[in-house]
Amino acid sequence: MSEREKKVRIFLRKWHRDIGFFIAGLTIIYAISGVAVNHIDDWNPSYTITTEMLQADTIPRALWGEQKIDSIVVAHLKLEKPKEVFWESDEKIRLFYEQETIDFNLATGELAIETTKGKPVLKEVNFLHLNKPKKVWTWVADIFAVLLAFLAISGVIMVKGKNGFGGKGKWIFIAGILIPVIFWILYLD
Amino acid sequence: MRTLFSLLVAVFLFTGASTAQKGDVYGKAPNLKTKTKVSTIFSTPKKFVGKTVMIEGTVVDVCEKRGCWMEVAGDKKGQKIKIKVDDGVIVFPVSKKGHKAVVQGVVEELVYTKEELIEAEKHKAEEQGTKFDPSTVKSGKTVYRIKGTGARIF
Repeated sequence: MSEREKKVRIFLRKWHRDIGFFIAGLTIIYAISGVAVNHIDDWNPSYTITTEMLQADTIPRALWGEQKIDSIVVAHLKLEKPKEVFWESDEKIRLFYEQETIDFNLATGELAIETTKGKPVLKEVNFLHLNKPKKVWTWVADIFAVLLAFLAISGVIMVKGKNGFGGKGKWIFIAGILIPVIFWILYLD
Repeated sequence: MRTLFSLLVAVFLFTGASTAQKGDVYGKAPNLKTKTKVSTIFSTPKKFVGKTVMIEGTVVDVCEKRGCWMEVAGDKKGQKIKIKVDDGVIVFPVSKKGHKAVVQGVVEELVYTKEELIEAEKHKAEEQGTKFDPSTVKSGKTVYRIKGTGARIF
């Protein structure tokens, strides 16, 4: 091995190690969020939504046309003043609170209380993975991607000998590359 | 190490500053000069099909799984309009129900047969975890919605 080659390998090892430490936390955040978001068909990855069905007394039809019907409903259900109100129809009202949405049917007395709560940890990691902060976070995520690519490339070329890319390494590398290639062949239109 | 630390602090301060803006933007920030009332769109919908509009109202419902649509209340009782966005491109959080929103997008016309409408309502009920009785659908209908390009939710 030439002196120059030796220097390059030492340089790669040093930076591979330090960058590895530096982005370990971020990699774990993206990995956790990746699994959560990957199963979006089965669940909401960031929020838990629960609905409780209850039965309340109905409100006489004669009162439905009252100007203060919103307040009448709120008082009838013994609730606090909502943030917003939406009339779905003459008999269906939706009341919005900070973490709750309440649907009430004046005619039938059906009451549905929907509670939306952030999933601990997942809400936070998805916030970053899905780039909700935008602006500077976009750059942070781009730099993270570049550093990941550096780890991958340096990881492939920095090991020499029989376990390196010149030996067993290239076959393991090809096996990894084959996974997306097989999916492209089988499923890509 | 000190330089790296200072850089990180600066990055996080800027990130914090960017989220502290008024309202959260999803997709492209709405930028039309004038808002159109939802009731105006519904009174002469064909006139608006294919046109870009900006509307304002309360978010009354959000897709519970993918956040790929939301419904915004109109200015008249019982009126609401669906804002559909491409899956994963824009994600509206379910926590935004009851918040005021300004939305921009192109008005679309969807013509459903009775069977298609039943299927669409069934799918919506599954997504939202609600009940749906197919017998409530008596015939097909034409639905007007907005293909959203962006929203600012307060």
